[in-house]
This record gives sequence, structure tokens and C-alpha cells, in this order.
Amino acid sequence: MTRWPPALVAVAIFVALLALGAMAPEHLADSDMSRKLLGWSEAPPFGTDGSGRPLLEYVMQGARVVVLPATVAGLAVGMMSVLGGLLRCVGDARVDTAVAAFGEVVGALPRMVVILVVATLIPSSNRGLLPLALTWAVLCSPGAMDEAAAVSERLGGARFVEALRAHGFSWSRIFLYHIVALNLRPVVVRQACETLTQVTFLELALSYLAVAQQQSSFTHPDSLKSWADLLKLGYPALVTPQPGTGHILVAGLFFVGTVVLSARLGTYAARAR
Amino acid sequence: MSSWWTRPLVRLAAALGLPLAVPAIIAQLIWALPGDPAEIICPPERCAGTAELAARWHLDGGPWHFYVVWIQGAVRGDFGNSWRLMQGAPVQELLVTAVPTTAILLAAGLVPVVLAAVAGASGRVPRAVGPVFSLFGLVPSVVLALLAAAALELKFGAASFDEEGVRLRILAGALVLGLADGAFSDTLAGVGALFSGERKQRYVQVAVLRGEGVLANMLPNLTPALVGQMRARTLQLVSGTVVVEVVLRIDGVGDLLWNGTLLQDFGVVIPAATAYAVLSALLLALQAVVEVVVALWVRRAPRTARVAGLAGGQT
Repeated sequence: MTRWPPALVAVAIFVALLALGAMAPEHLADSDMSRKLLGWSEAPPFGTDGSGRPLLEYVMQGARVVVLPATVAGLAVGMMSVLGGLLRCVGDARVDTAVAAFGEVVGALPRMVVILVVATLIPSSNRGLLPLALTWAVLCSPGAMDEAAAVSERLGGARFVEALRAHGFSWSRIFLYHIVALNLRPVVVRQACETLTQVTFLELALSYLAVAQQQSSFTHPDSLKSWADLLKLGYPALVTPQPGTGHILVAGLFFVGTVVLSARLGTYAARAR
Repeated sequence: MSSWWTRPLVRLAAALGLPLAVPAIIAQLIWALPGDPAEIICPPERCAGTAELAARWHLDGGPWHFYVVWIQGAVRGDFGNSWRLMQGAPVQELLVTAVPTTAILLAAGLVPVVLAAVAGASGRVPRAVGPVFSLFGLVPSVVLALLAAAALELKFGAASFDEEGVRLRILAGALVLGLADGAFSDTLAGVGALFSGERKQRYVQVAVLRGEGVLANMLPNLTPALVGQMRARTLQLVSGTVVVEVVLRIDGVGDLLWNGTLLQDFGVVIPAATAYAVLSALLLALQAVVEVVVALWVRRAPRTARVAGLAGGQT
């Protein structure tokens, strides 16, 4: 299987989520009790909630909350992993020790605990996922740098660079093409995609925990809803035998699954040859 | 890395610094917030005597004064008082009930992970099973915890909150921790790859030809990587306890930290975060010690070789 079909599907899903986020309304529509808890067929594409508001608006707002910060975090981790790989190719023992020390300290922090501490410090007027996503990216960086450094190590590190220099290649060609594009690419893309997925899960967890206790989420203002609201609204379907909110739960899980699928396909596309 | 001891030394230094650094950073950040920290406990528009309260709770001398007093108290087992969650209540009383619960949850959550490690190391897991576990590992902990909570509510109703119910919640939480977010599948794949890669090494094949044990030959080389993997998994589980405890309503440190975070109760957040930092530091120190022991063991020449060397020197 070539890399293009999965790559195209991954990009298509990602663009669709971006578009959904860009088109998200500022506020949910007014409630309309005559249309409450309608299914997909009666109120396409996702049905309505208990107040008759279309779930599409929840989906769009959820995409707006999560897609951009998760992408920024993914890109940040990708760049850090490139840096880790290139630093190993420099072959300086002091740089390696400094990177290892950074990795040990940052990697030893329980991520959720750090996120909660950072969340505590964000003023309620400036709530958003971006600072938390960037914090998550910093916490993910040591692992990503370590893995990229291991790839560079297997490549030969500084000796590989020397050998290519002896062939007359320029620095930019060696570092950007031979090392990053040809050898680090699978690791960089996988780390970025994993971070994107993890930030989506993080948003889901933080928002769900807040919504479950009738509190404001740390990840978005009160005017917005996230996919965690869909899980919360759909949860009764799991514990009560009467049908009604199952379509809401499915909509929430579907979009979480979509992000996972997009990230997995992206990883596969970067790996396939 | 320049020497074999550099990495363990860095780990030990990080282990020593982490429990001290975490409360120090949080204390600094509290003062970086807009407004006076004492106003978080006692907003001037709602209560009088903010200045007296600040003096009594050591918030009047800046972040370093607060940090030093807090650390001195923590060494004696006094972690201060809750600011908002249970205003005035000593935090050590909250931790006394929360820490054992989280410890049990974590220990039970490690069982599936250890089983995955053993299965991965044995190399006897059918290839077809791998993708199934990988698919299962994609489920986030919050979704799996929701399913577990729903199952418990359906099966036991109100009884799921009595003593027996709490035990079941912890068991369900442990299963969620051990299976969600790829804890089981990634351990299975990671340890499996580690062992299968090592089995292909020439020295292992020579050991087989000499009739020696494969595991005994591989373990000294694999132990540091294995311990590193298990530390990473344990940290992942530690992070997961927050979500699992809140969703499954288990009264542990994660639940305490979450509630403290919601209410900006730094009196609770600092000790809870420090408790996690101490656990992480212990894991780091353990990894460093194992690495040092293995390195010394590997570098120690076998007795037969030393005798042969001596004999060679005398002739």
C-alpha cells in the first residue's frame, strides 16, 4: 500500500475538522423543546439535544476548541523531535548531557499534575486550550527528542554528517533532506500525530471532569461547548434502558474516533514506503 | 553521553531536586497571578481581616518566605491547611485517607501492565492479538472510565458507593488505568520489541550454543531499558489516576488535586502535586540505582577471567 491514500484521507479529515471549527457559531441556537432529542434521520446530520438544539453546533464548537491548539502542540513536538535528532548529529557530549538533563527533569513530571497546576494559574477570563496544549507539548518533548536522537544515533550521528560532507553535500541538504526528510520523518510525524491525539484526549478529559461537576472548563469559555459535553449529555444512554440520548453519545465518540483515525493514518503515511 | 555514570547521576540529581522544585515553582507562580494571594482565601469584598489571615498563613512575606515555611512544615509532616476546598482543614488529614487509596489504585493498575510486560518478554503472544490490543489501547481513559462508571451504576445502583462498592470502583479504576491510553498494548509491544531485538543478537545465539540460559544472558543488557519503560508506564498511570478517580468517584490524591484545582485551592494543590513529585522522584532514583548496579555488574570481570588474567600475568 502506498502512502498517498492514507495521507489524503488524513488530510481530508483534518481539513474538515478545521472547516467545522472555522464555521462554529459563537453561541448555541435558542432551545426549541418541540425538537428535543431528535435522531439523525429526523434532524440531520447528528440530531438534537434535550433542548432541541442541533448537535452539529456542539460538534463545530468542539472542533473550534480542540483542532487549532492540538495542531500547534503537534507541530511544537515535531519541531522538538527534529531538534533532538539534529543535536545528536552534532556529536557534542556537553549538548547531549544538557538534553538528557532536560529530558530527565521534564520527563519525570506527571503530565496531568503539571497541566492541572498550569490550569489553576490561568485566569478565568483567559481560559483556552492553547496554553495547556503548549504545556503538554513541552512535557512530551523529551520523549520525542530522545526517540529522534536514537534514530540519528543508529544513522551514525556525527560520522554520518562527516561522510556526507566528504561527498560534497551542503549543510542544508545533509540536515534538512538526508537527516530530517529521509530518516527522521517517520518519528517526527508520529510524535506530532500522537501529541495531537493526546491533546484532544486531554481536552476531553478536562472538560468532562468540569462539566460532570457543573463547573466551567479550563479549556474554553462558557459560551462554547466541547465534545465532552456530548459525552456528558449522552451518558444517560449507558445507564438508563430508555432510548433517547444514545445518538448524542455516538456523535461525541465518533468525533474523538475521527481525530484518532486521522492521526493514525498520518503516522502510517509517514512510515509507508 | 560521556561516561556510563552520567545518566544515572543526572537522574539522581533530578530525583533529589524534583520534590523541592515542584512546590517552589507553584509558590512562585501563585505570586505571579494578578492580585494578592491572601485574597484567594479571603476576598476583601466578602471578608474582613485579609492582612491578619495573610500573616497567619505565611502569605505576607513573598513566595520564598511561604515556600521555606511550607517546606519546613512538610518535613515535619505538616502540609498546611486547605484554602478553599475545606477551608482551614489540615491537608495532612485529607492526604492520610487519599494517599493509601491512590496507592492501592496504582498498584492494582500496574498488574495488567506487568502482565503485558511478562507476555511481551516471553514472546509467546500470537501476532494476530497485537492489533486487537492496539485498537483497544486507542480508547482514552475518560471514555473507558465512563463505561466502567456506567457499568457499576447499572449493576449496583446506590450500593456502588458503600464499602464493597468502593472496592469495586477501585478495581474498575485499576482496569481502566491498566488498559486505557495504550498502557497495556504499548507495554506489550514495547517490551516485546525489546526482547525480540535482543534475542537476535549474536551473543545470545552463542549463549544458546554453549547451553547457557538466554534470559540470564540478556537481562543485564535489557534491565536498564526495561526499568525505563516501566517507569514511563508507571508515570502514565500516575497521571491517569486524576481522570479515573474523578470519573469513578474514588477519593484519592487525584480527586483531591482536581477539586483543589477547580477552586484554586493552592493549600491543597501544592501538597497533592508534591506527593506526585515525590512518587516520581522515587521512581527516578530507583531507575538510577538499577542502572548503576547493572553497570557495575556488567563491568565486573567474571572470576574465571580474573584468575586466567592473573595466571597470564605471572607467566
